[in-house]
Amino acid sequence: MGIGVAIQPYNFLVAMIGLILGVIVGVLPGLGGANGVAILIPLTVVMAPIPGIILLSSIYWGALYGGSITSILFNIPGEPWSVATTFDGYPMAKKGQAGKALVLAFLSHGAGAVLGVVMLSFFAPIIAEFALMFGPAEIFSVMFLTFSAFVGLGGKDPVKTLVSICFGFILSAVGMDIVTGQLRLTFGSVDLMGGFNFIVAVIGLFGLGEIFLTVEEGLKMEGIVARVRWKDVTEGFKEIGRNKKALIMGSIIGCWMGLKPGGATPASFMAYGFAKQSAKNKEEFGHGASAGIIAPESAAHGAGTSATLPMVTLGIPGSPTMAVIMGGLMIFGLTPGPMLFVEHKEFVWGLIGSCWVGNLIGFFIVLAFAPLFAAVLKVRFSILMPIIVYVCAIGAYAVNNRMIDLFYMIGFGVLGYVFKKLDYPIAPMVLALVLGDMAESAMRQALIIGGGNPSVFFRPPIALPIMIAAILIFFWPTITSLRKKYAARTTIGPG
Amino acid sequence: MRKANIVMALLMMAVGAIAVHDAVRLGFRWGMSGPDAGFFPFVLGVGVLICSVIVLSKGIRVYKKEGPGEGLIPEGGLKPILWVLLPSAGMVILTALIGLHLAALCFLAFYMRAVGKIGWVKVVLVSVLVPMGLYILFDKLFLIPLPQGLWGGKILIF
Repeated sequence: MGIGVAIQPYNFLVAMIGLILGVIVGVLPGLGGANGVAILIPLTVVMAPIPGIILLSSIYWGALYGGSITSILFNIPGEPWSVATTFDGYPMAKKGQAGKALVLAFLSHGAGAVLGVVMLSFFAPIIAEFALMFGPAEIFSVMFLTFSAFVGLGGKDPVKTLVSICFGFILSAVGMDIVTGQLRLTFGSVDLMGGFNFIVAVIGLFGLGEIFLTVEEGLKMEGIVARVRWKDVTEGFKEIGRNKKALIMGSIIGCWMGLKPGGATPASFMAYGFAKQSAKNKEEFGHGASAGIIAPESAAHGAGTSATLPMVTLGIPGSPTMAVIMGGLMIFGLTPGPMLFVEHKEFVWGLIGSCWVGNLIGFFIVLAFAPLFAAVLKVRFSILMPIIVYVCAIGAYAVNNRMIDLFYMIGFGVLGYVFKKLDYPIAPMVLALVLGDMAESAMRQALIIGGGNPSVFFRPPIALPIMIAAILIFFWPTITSLRKKYAARTTIGPG
Repeated sequence: MRKANIVMALLMMAVGAIAVHDAVRLGFRWGMSGPDAGFFPFVLGVGVLICSVIVLSKGIRVYKKEGPGEGLIPEGGLKPILWVLLPSAGMVILTALIGLHLAALCFLAFYMRAVGKIGWVKVVLVSVLVPMGLYILFDKLFLIPLPQGLWGGKILIF
């Protein structure tokens, strides 16, 4: 049903355009999936919902592909989850096998995505059905789990992660209170009454912030000229066959990790580590081992695809890009969550169908035009950079048609730069800004239902296990450090 | 870097304090219809305060032990950043006056010429054609009005 929607000529064309734009966005420094989608959201307003969402998600798939082109050919990871690909992708390209490295990356991308979409197609309806039983307390517990995952498993300083989450929520509270209509944190300013739009924040934090980081490091780009020949394709297929284990492992790790927020980056590193550990040719890793490309790429794309699952079924985006896509859904008047499956069936299946189609034709597009896309980076940075800033400004303004948003964009750019430098994670802040209103109303409704008793958040059968899991994950860093301390003490002995 | 860490923690504490202050004004207890408007910001403000105190005390401890360490911005990094930040901010301010596309034209030309040292022909071509293309795409084809500023509408009459 969904694929039928996705291959209608108009939708197909839209997907193609989205993919090409997405790859360009993924290749350019300073622009990524989240940003590209954010900038193009205003364009989709004039479209119908289904082609609109196909455009947005295709940009996302394209950006996932684009990230690997730069990490292999330029040793510059376009996205954080393609960092692990540079370990072996760039060395392999340096050895003159750039074509093969690209084919391997795209093939593993495809494989990871297929597993992710299979999971999406089968589990999305089941989870949505289950989620229909959710009340406010359950919704809040799922959100609590989401943010606990950032604190406990995000890999950054847990305290700084908490600061970043709370800061995001505070920003989301600025403006009119949704229940009482009182003005909060506006201090009499008319501009603050409208609150902060997260799309503007995304464009500033990820776009401008990234540009500041790039110019600070002094951008050096030494690309490797690549042409993908037919021989590379056949060889890539053979090589994949030889590294089935890395491929399957990577895809499974990716799909599993993608379910929790911010999963793609740790998934790619984990898959790389596993592939290295289980390989016979360990010394080859870091010098262009095929499995070193296959594992992280399949994991990253698997995670990217399975991140769609919590977004469509629960209304909780797994990554900043998904959050922006969700923002796009809301502009169409569609509320992501279990009701979407009931009220807008054709829409959800259209989205899932476009995942299939988008990832498939994306593979051929990148394969055919990889050298062309890489050529974008040959344009001097002093020409690209001001154009990127200009496009960011268009995106930031068009969200609400407010002049003040352009100033916010610059402010968020500086904030993003400082946060990155000081190791405050940005993704949880963006997600908090997106989910702020939803989390708050869920919390308040639940408290009203419970008559002010917080035990309502622990009511069985659904909220209780989720909350227990969330609390365990939240304190995971403390638990592990305590265990280490205990182990150290016992080895030293008493006294 | 360590000094900046401390300053950032102090700034975040200020944010937390502002949130708590405003929450107290709105009321953060149980009101007529469930939790008051200030309840959620109050919890968050307190959360930010506690966490930033932890970050701050950690930062001060490290600072005392190991000295200030490297700066937030590595040597020679500040100049290129300001070369992006100031013209971008300038473009935004100019947008309020002459509209986004014209401001972008100035910004593109300025940056390419002053920072990129690119030949005049290329500068003029790119800085005229790109805004023109985007103007046609957004304002004319998709009918998404972008800011015209105070005088932009009078300059761009077509």
